[in-house]
This record gives sequence, structure tokens and C-alpha cells, in this order.
Amino acid sequence: MPVMLPTIIRNLFGGPATRMYPVQVRDPFEGARGHIEFDDDKCILCGNCARQCPAAAIEINKEKNELVFYPARCIICFVCAEACKKDAVIASNKWRTPYYTKPVEVHVAKAKKEKAKKE
Amino acid sequence: MAPRTIAPFGPQHPVLPEPIQLKITYENEKVVDVVPALGYGHRGIEKACELNEYPKNIHLCERICGICSCMHGISYCEVVERLWPMEVPPRAKYLRTIWSEMSRTHSHLLWLGLLADALGFESMFMQFWRIREKVLDLLEMTCGSRVTQSVSVVGGVRRDIDDEQKKICIRTLQEVRQEAEALINVLATDPTVKARTVGKGVLTKEQAILLGNNGPHLRASGVKEDCRMLGMQAYGELGFEPVVETDGDCYARALVRARETLQAIDLQLEAFSKMPEGEIYVRPKGSPPANEAVYRCEQARGEVFYYAKGNGTRKLERLRVRTPTFANIPSLLVMLPGSELADVPIIVLSIDPCISCTER
Repeated sequence: MPVMLPTIIRNLFGGPATRMYPVQVRDPFEGARGHIEFDDDKCILCGNCARQCPAAAIEINKEKNELVFYPARCIICFVCAEACKKDAVIASNKWRTPYYTKPVEVHVAKAKKEKAKKE
Repeated sequence: MAPRTIAPFGPQHPVLPEPIQLKITYENEKVVDVVPALGYGHRGIEKACELNEYPKNIHLCERICGICSCMHGISYCEVVERLWPMEVPPRAKYLRTIWSEMSRTHSHLLWLGLLADALGFESMFMQFWRIREKVLDLLEMTCGSRVTQSVSVVGGVRRDIDDEQKKICIRTLQEVRQEAEALINVLATDPTVKARTVGKGVLTKEQAILLGNNGPHLRASGVKEDCRMLGMQAYGELGFEPVVETDGDCYARALVRARETLQAIDLQLEAFSKMPEGEIYVRPKGSPPANEAVYRCEQARGEVFYYAKGNGTRKLERLRVRTPTFANIPSLLVMLPGSELADVPIIVLSIDPCISCTER
């Protein structure tokens, strides 16, 4: 016990090592992998993200001009954000909050539509 | 003859929350026989790796184990790189080494905490885990995630450590080293810890070699064997020397892991000082060719063995993983008979079992 005394004294006067969560929340690190978002204005439905996603969380429906994202399947590896050449996948360092039902996000690719209109 | 009783030990939370069952036959509090039963956590990861394209398997292999996830990812990348074979840039090798050693640090701190917990030394358990949080924070800062780091890719790494992060890492690691050293000093000298661990579960050098054990478990029995001696990644340039103890009991195994924790921090600091500038990724050319490769990596728990067979397509024909706990479980059959029933949890814990790794 005497060997541990310095640690005990330090802890006695050092204050708690934990935070008063959820009142006090630590800011996420800059490069932390939190969740992904899609920028519909930039997406051209090239399918790079869907092809490289290891968890098959992204589906591309070119007929309906849609990108379907299943957040509950996402393993937050950010491979899609690195694969996207148009910066349409936004990597965020904030965590998603828990959900009761599995959400499905449907994104309509506007950049693709505009390109088609011009042609 | 005293009556014999057979009692199940596990599969729900036997010392550690992983599913292994030991059918223990005991006679007057003395263990006579042990039969381990496995098969509660099989997920078919090896087969799933044959169905995926090879870059996607990195994330699957990282999920073989929660604690050594970083090293599983790196080992998979290294074995696939050997199919070409291709060379990784030197900076990527150093980064892989740093992250491997960071994983080892947090894994050993976790184990030391669990040991204190198994002994009933709750305050020390809290102290070890508090220090471990700092290492996990470093992993989150540099890799993006606390546990499944996903930093390694075939051909290099995905993230670089910039100068600012490097400074924070070095400062934090020095703090961690100082705090860990003080706690390890307590662990090594405390009479209650010694009373519960010295002379318990003795495994001699000959038995350890005969049973094919590996990792810190083997080194505690006096065998100087460590995959890092092969010089893979950047270990060849870091002047690595394995930690060896000769007693082969639970105390020796705890000391090996404690000293390895400090050694891992030293290796990280050395790697930071020697890390060269340059590229961190080279794009692999085409698909893995029809070839076979093996890779051995020293994880926190011991040696992991990866075998991969390519067939020229984007998918691997076969991936085989042998994890350290698979080699260490047989030693329980030697260590447990003859021991007191109350010592069973500590002896089981002393091999640092990772069952989800073993069953995949």
C-alpha cells in the first residue's frame, strides 16, 4: 500500500478523472470519424462510393436519379468520402445520436439532373 | 477418495466477458481435470473474406478482434502486399509500427487492469484503465476512431501524423509512461498481488515449447521468441529486444506484460524520432496475382499468422488466420490441474484469452 500512496494522494486532490457527461461533453477530435452526410448539389451518381463501401450501406438508383443511404449499416470507415471525386460525401466528426428505428436516407442527385438538362 | 465435482466455468463472463467454457473437475477445492469448450463466438469471417473484394476485407479483418483490430488490419494488408509482392513507403512502415505499438500499450494496460480486477484490487483496475483512456484518445486523434482504427490499406496507410499531433503524442506518451511506471511498481511489489500470483499456474520452458505457445505467455517461461525480432514494419531499425522472464508463473506473465507496456511506449517514442518524411501510400497495380503468401505479426497477445491465396481476380481464393489464443489455450490443461479452485480465474486470465479472435 505505501507504494501506491503517491497515486492515492494525487487522486485525492486531483479532482475527478471523468467529466459530468452529458452536461459537459468533450469536443470531438478534428479528424475523428463521426458520420457522413451527402451534398445532393454535388452528387453526379457516379457510384464510386457505393462500389467501395465495405458494408453495402449506399445504393445507387440511376433510373430514379437517387442515392439511398442506410446509416444503420454504415461502419463509418470514410472510404466513400475518400473515393468521392466531387466532394459530395461530407465527413463529419460529430457522432450520430442513437435511433429506435433504422433510418433510410434518400438523396436526389441534383448535379446529375442539371447536367442532363444542359445536354 | 474424495468425491469429484464437475463445475462449468463460463461461458458467461468467465473472468473476462468473452465466451469460453471450462468444464472443471475438482476434488476438495483442487482442480483435477479441465476440458475447454469453444464455439460460442464463431462468425465465419474467413469465409466472408473470400466473398468480398480484397480492399473491403480490411474492415472485416479488423473486426476479428476488438483490442488488436489495428494489428489485424495491418497484418491483412501486409499479407496481401506480399502476393504481388510490393513495397510500402518507409513512412507508412513507421506509422504502422507506431499504431501497432499504441494498440499494444492499450491492450496491455487493459489486461493489467483486468488482472487487478480479478485479484479484487479495484482501485488499481481503475487507475490502469484511466491511463489507457489517454492512449485511446491518441488513437482517436491520429486514426479517427478509438477501437476500429481502419488506417491501414493495401499499399500504405490512409492517414498521416502531422507535427502538431506528433508533439501531443510524444507529450502524452511520456505522461502515460510515468504514470504506468508508478502503477507497475505497485503491481510488482504489492504483497497481496504477489500472494495471489507467485507460483500459480507454473509452465516450464519445455512445456511451453512443447505446447506451441506464443506471445508474452511464452516469453514469461523463459523463451526468447517474438515476431518483432524478424524486423517487419520498422522494427528492424528500432533496436528491438524482447522482454523475457524465467519463472513461468502468473506473476512472471504479469511482469512481462507490464515491462512490454513500457517498452511499447519507448518504441513509439523512438519511432517518432526516426520517422522519415515522404509518401505514405503507393497504389497497388491491378488485382492480387495468383500467388500465396504468409505473414506473422506479434500482437499484444502473441503471434498472429495470416495466409492468403490470390487467383488473379479482385477476390482472394483463401484467407486463413491463426490467432495467438488458439495456441495458448492448450497450456490451460497443464497449468490448471493441481491448482486451487480460487486461482482458476487468475490462471485463465494470465494467458490473456481473446475468444472472439480464436473463433472468428
